[in-house]
Amino acid sequence: MEETRQVQGTWDLSTFKFRIEGEGINNMLKEMKEAKLLGNRCHQCGTVYLPANFYCRKCHIAIHEPAEISDHGEVMSYTVGYADVRGNPLDEPRVSLMVKLDGSDTWIMGAGEEMKPEDVHIGMRVKIKWAEHRVGNLQDMESFIPE
Amino acid sequence: MRNVAIIGIGYTPVFVSKRRDVCIPEMISEAVENAFQNSGLTPADIEAVIFGNMQTFEGVNLPHLWAADYIASLGKPVMRVATGGTTGMSAFHAAYYHIASGLHDVVMVVTYEKHSEGDAQVGLMGIITPEIMAMLAAGIDVTGQKGMGAIGGGSAGGISYQASSYLHHSGAGIEHIDAVAAMERRNAAKNPYAHLKDPEATAEKIAQTPLISWPIRFGHVCPTTDGATVCILASEEKAAKLADKAAWVWAVANCASDATTGNLIEGIITDPGEQRPATIAAKQAYERAGIEDPRKEIDYVEIYNGFAHQTLMFLERIGMCEVGEAHKLLEKGELEMSGRLPVNASGGVVSTNAIGTSALNRVTECALQIMGQAGEHQVEKEVHKALAHGWGGLMQYVTITILADKPKKL
Repeated sequence: MEETRQVQGTWDLSTFKFRIEGEGINNMLKEMKEAKLLGNRCHQCGTVYLPANFYCRKCHIAIHEPAEISDHGEVMSYTVGYADVRGNPLDEPRVSLMVKLDGSDTWIMGAGEEMKPEDVHIGMRVKIKWAEHRVGNLQDMESFIPE
Repeated sequence: MRNVAIIGIGYTPVFVSKRRDVCIPEMISEAVENAFQNSGLTPADIEAVIFGNMQTFEGVNLPHLWAADYIASLGKPVMRVATGGTTGMSAFHAAYYHIASGLHDVVMVVTYEKHSEGDAQVGLMGIITPEIMAMLAAGIDVTGQKGMGAIGGGSAGGISYQASSYLHHSGAGIEHIDAVAAMERRNAAKNPYAHLKDPEATAEKIAQTPLISWPIRFGHVCPTTDGATVCILASEEKAAKLADKAAWVWAVANCASDATTGNLIEGIITDPGEQRPATIAAKQAYERAGIEDPRKEIDYVEIYNGFAHQTLMFLERIGMCEVGEAHKLLEKGELEMSGRLPVNASGGVVSTNAIGTSALNRVTECALQIMGQAGEHQVEKEVHKALAHGWGGLMQYVTITILADKPKKL
C-alpha cells in the first residue's frame, strides 16, 4: 500500500482583515485605563451589554445608554486547564472562569488567580485584579481573584 | 407535504483514523457503491444529490464538484450543505424537503470526512475564529499571554465550561462522564463501522486517562475519523415500489442561537450547558410528529456527543428525562443496549467522528434500529420510533429528526 504524500503549509491569519465590533470595545478599553467598566443599557428592556453593544439583540433596536459595571461578580462556569493548546501538560494547572459582573447581563471570561483549583465553584464571588500600569487594552484586567 | 422514507444506507467498509489507500473521491464512492448494493437501486434511480462535508477541514474547496462522477451525480441537480457538526443531518433535511415538497421522488445524501488529509485544528479556525471574535467582544484577550488570556483551545476549551456547568446543575459527577464514555466504547466494539472500540472499557479505565481541561479528560473526547456515509430517501409511492423495508421520517426540526460560548437567547447570555436550541428544536419535532410524551413514545435515541457528558446533557435538554435524571438512568443501566431507553448503541460520536457524516450517522443508525438491521449492536427492545440529534455550528446549532417504522398519517 503506497503512502499518501504530505505537503506542508501554513494558514496565515494575518492575510485576513477581521473587523471586531469597534466602538463598544474601544469605549470599554478607554475606561479601563481608569480601572472602570462601561457597558450599554437597552432603554426598552433594560438588558445591559458589556462591552457596549449598540444594538439590542432582544429588542432588535439601536441603543445608546451608558451603564457603569462593577468589577465584582459571580462565577457562572469554570474549567481548570491541564494541557496547552498543543496538548502538552502545563507545569501548573490553569483556572479559567466565566464571570457575570454585577450590573451586566453578559458574561466575560478570564484567568482565576489566588485560588486553588479544588476550591473554585459555581456561584463563587470574585473581583477583577487590575494591572498596576494600565494602557487601555484587555490585559489591563489581569485576572479574577477571590472577593 | 408528502411522506418520505429512508430506503437505502451505505457506509465505507471501515471508519479509521487514516485511509491512506484511497483518495477522497475514491473513499466516498465506496459508500455510494455500498448503498446501491444494499438497496438494489442503480444510479439511474437517483434524481438529485445532496452533499454534506465540513468546510475547510481537508483544505479541499468544492468537494461535491470534485467528486461529481464518483457520487453518481453527472447531469443531475446537486446541492452542498455545510452547517458544522450538524452538516450530515442538515443535508438529510434538505433531501427530505426535496421529496416532501413534491419536487423529486428519490434523492441521495452523500456525506464524508477524510481528516487524515487535512488538519482539523486548522479547519476549526474557520469556526473558532468568529467564535474568538465573539468572545473578544465579551472581553477576552486572544493572545493567551497572560491575564485575560483564558481560551482553553479548540472546541475542547469551550466544551469544558459546558461540562463543568452541566455537572453543577445536574448533580452528576465526573465519574458519570467516565461511565457513559465506557458504555459507548463497549457499544462501539459491536459496530463494524465504529472507530474507537473497546469491549473491555470500564469507567475506571477511562478515569485513568489524563485530564485535559477539568472535567474533560482524554477518554471523553471524540477521535478524528476518515469515512463516508450515504442515505437514499424516497417518496411513499416510490418506496412502496423500490424497498422491502423502510424507516419513515415523521419530523425534522432545527434551531440556532448566537455564537457566544453560552447561547444568547433573547439578549441574555445563558449557560453554555443550557443549549436552549436543543429544547426548542425537540419541542417542534414532537409537535410535528404528533408525539405528546416523548419518554413513553420514543424507543431509541442517537445523541451527537463529541464529548461524553453530552449524551447525558442532551437527553435532559430534549426532554427524554428531567434535569439531573440522566446520570441516574445511566446508573440503573437503562441507557445500555439492553435497557429501557437505549442510547448510542452505535458507540456515538465519541467513538467515531468523521465530522461531515456524524450527524447523518445518528439518523442512519436510528433507521437501522427501526428496520432491525443493526446486526450485533441491535438493541433488545423493539424500536417503533427513534430520535436522532445533531449538535454543532459554532456550539449553538441543533438538528432533530424523528423516524418511525410506519408512514405518518397525513
